[in-house]
Amino acid sequence: MYRPIGTRRSLGVMGAGFVLFLAACGTQGTSPSEAAESSEPEASASAASGEVVEIEWFVGLGTGENEEQIPTEEAVVAAFNEANPNIHLTLTVVDNTEAATTLAARLPSDPPDIIGPIGIRGLQSFGDQLLDIGPYIESSGVDLSEIPQALIDVYNVDGKQIGIPMAVYPSFIYYNKSLFDEAQLAYPPHEVGEQYEGQDWTWEVLRDLALQLTVDANGNDATSAEFDPENVEVYGLDAQFTENDTRAWSTIFGGSGSVVADDGSTAQWPDNWRHGLQFFYDGIWVDHIIPNQTAVQALADGNTFQSGLVAMDVVHQWYTCCVYPGEGDPPVTDWDIAVLPVGPDGVITSKLHADTIGILDSTEHPDEAFEVLRFLAASPELTQVWGALPAIENQRDAFFAGLDERFTPLEIDWNVSTQMLEYPDNPSHEAFMPSFDEADSANKDFGSRLWNTAGLDLAAEIDAHVQLLQGIFDEGT
Amino acid sequence: MAMTPHTTGSAALPIGAVPTRWGRLTSRESLTGLAFVAPFIIGFVVFSALPMIASLVLSFTDFDPRRADETRFIGLDNYARMLRDPVLLQSLWVTVRFALLVVPLTLGFALAVALLVNNTLLFGRSVFRTLFYMPMQIPIVASTIVWIGVLNAQNGWLNYGLGAVGIDGPNWLQSATWVGPSLALMGLWGIGNMMLIFLAGLQSVPTELYDAARVDGAGVWGRFRHVTLPMISPVLFYNLIIALIATFQYFTQAYVVSNGRGDPDRATLFFNLNLFREAFTFFNMGYASALAWLLFVIVLGLTIVLFRTAGSWVFEGSER
Repeated sequence: MYRPIGTRRSLGVMGAGFVLFLAACGTQGTSPSEAAESSEPEASASAASGEVVEIEWFVGLGTGENEEQIPTEEAVVAAFNEANPNIHLTLTVVDNTEAATTLAARLPSDPPDIIGPIGIRGLQSFGDQLLDIGPYIESSGVDLSEIPQALIDVYNVDGKQIGIPMAVYPSFIYYNKSLFDEAQLAYPPHEVGEQYEGQDWTWEVLRDLALQLTVDANGNDATSAEFDPENVEVYGLDAQFTENDTRAWSTIFGGSGSVVADDGSTAQWPDNWRHGLQFFYDGIWVDHIIPNQTAVQALADGNTFQSGLVAMDVVHQWYTCCVYPGEGDPPVTDWDIAVLPVGPDGVITSKLHADTIGILDSTEHPDEAFEVLRFLAASPELTQVWGALPAIENQRDAFFAGLDERFTPLEIDWNVSTQMLEYPDNPSHEAFMPSFDEADSANKDFGSRLWNTAGLDLAAEIDAHVQLLQGIFDEGT
Repeated sequence: MAMTPHTTGSAALPIGAVPTRWGRLTSRESLTGLAFVAPFIIGFVVFSALPMIASLVLSFTDFDPRRADETRFIGLDNYARMLRDPVLLQSLWVTVRFALLVVPLTLGFALAVALLVNNTLLFGRSVFRTLFYMPMQIPIVASTIVWIGVLNAQNGWLNYGLGAVGIDGPNWLQSATWVGPSLALMGLWGIGNMMLIFLAGLQSVPTELYDAARVDGAGVWGRFRHVTLPMISPVLFYNLIIALIATFQYFTQAYVVSNGRGDPDRATLFFNLNLFREAFTFFNMGYASALAWLLFVIVLGLTIVLFRTAGSWVFEGSER
């Protein structure tokens, strides 16, 4: 039987000790709901008195912490401050690897007001800390008509609208045209429904194509009997930066699914995801068309497509950040993007990432924070620098024009990106699971095992993993 | 010097000095002494004692910093959870297995190097001592990153060297089999402190004992076995305790090598890394605190066992 801590004092002592333990500072935080309720009059009073309200924007949970992105974010902050003399917006940028821990450590004592861009996965850790901005949207008359309802719904959690969609990142195939030319193969389709060399564009057809594009040190492709899998020089396929996330791998090759059954507590691995993982695992260890972790490490330190030695790479829109190295001559000189094939479940699935900016419900100044949020959500320069397709449709032409300018003289078929936006994974591969952080980690441990170990009985491994997940789910209930 | 009525004991106090309950110290001396030790006492209380008490309290709660106000006392639940936590068992096994490999290996290697650089016949002893100690000056994270480069399966220097002599080197850091030995190899690089302590021990062995052994016909091995080892056994014992504690607290290298995840296949998920992940990845601060206390109990237990067994093989000065 659980017993709530009786007094605020005991919580304070514990919190203070813990704060020392974390080398952080402060006192026990007010409950988010209390803070939100009690802060509104104060916010109004401060605004009425002409006092300048401080609002802190915390960046790092998703994209936005790259060196080249920060000046744009600073410029947007400066523009806001100039236009709003009663609000002083400050920017805090934390390294992505530290951001979640830093934010968690600050939440009890010194929380920022606004966090983001934050993706769907990040929301599982902090989503219940966000303010319901639905009432603010209504009262301020913010126009969301330019944003598809499906995207707005992504940020409706348990009836709370916790963000305005800003940035979406559909996934598709980046392909290295030089490697296709060298192998004298036709480029993959750019239109949904288009065939490849007279065949429906399926993962099996893509596999055959990848086999022809995978080449060993002696120049033999993976269809050849002389092919040496120990010395692969060019890989036909990768899904880089998906790292070892088994939910993501399953979604790419198998289509939408969930590790949680409809009852919300039973662990599962749907059949289409089993097919997806099998495709991925065979691609690495049987067909040798996908690099294993060791090979990935050797290919431009994990930025495999940038190495110029990967012919097709399933990545999100945000990868426009990183096709070329920061300095020096790019090994990839001629590339374009193609649509994803039809999956084993008979539909195309473009694994979607989406970012928003949310207001922590502990903010003392929700009105002013919402003013900031409105400003940021309508700043196309932010989505541009984050490499994100703007959720607001009328901003997209300008976004692609900016990319064209950046990648000139190449002519990238951005139509592929907007087409893929029509096929998001639903439910998301980053969706909620009970005991989210532990379950997510277990999925990645499993992915690491598959990525590193040949000869596994995959069906048995999946069954064991589902059992492990069930234990984690049960522990959290 | 005139004795004052306040004088106690045999030593005299300065005129006008007031003895305190601290004994012979005057109150001014006591205050001065306290002022000097105050930084330590404050530091100890603030940075050690209070956090320890806090972590003990937290170990009976489900504290999550993201939801601090929802914290509940859950009694012994965190301790009960340990019994059914397969990841904890795995992390314990990873740690114990590593300790069994690395403790004897580093002790042996450090002693061998100390014997080598203590040998008067070795040309440039000081240079070698410096070279072996130098890695201690390099931050662990930096040296680990260098080692990751050296051990890279595809383009690392080690496999390049092995390849040059016809050996196909393993996948050092991505193989669950080889990552432990890889970390042990890194550990050998950092034996500087241990070597230095062994060296001090070796230099304190009276030379007349070696002379007497020689007269008795003892060879090199005999002198090492019957003179050196017994005489440095307290140092060996000290290094053993320190190595064991360090192994159970092993963290940084495993964190850097596995990006904080314990990869591959949890082969580098050491106890402390698991504790860190519970605290700072999953935000299960209560459970992490309970794990910290389990670690404390384990290390304390091992230390007590070693001290109990020390009587049979450690020769103290009085026994010499």
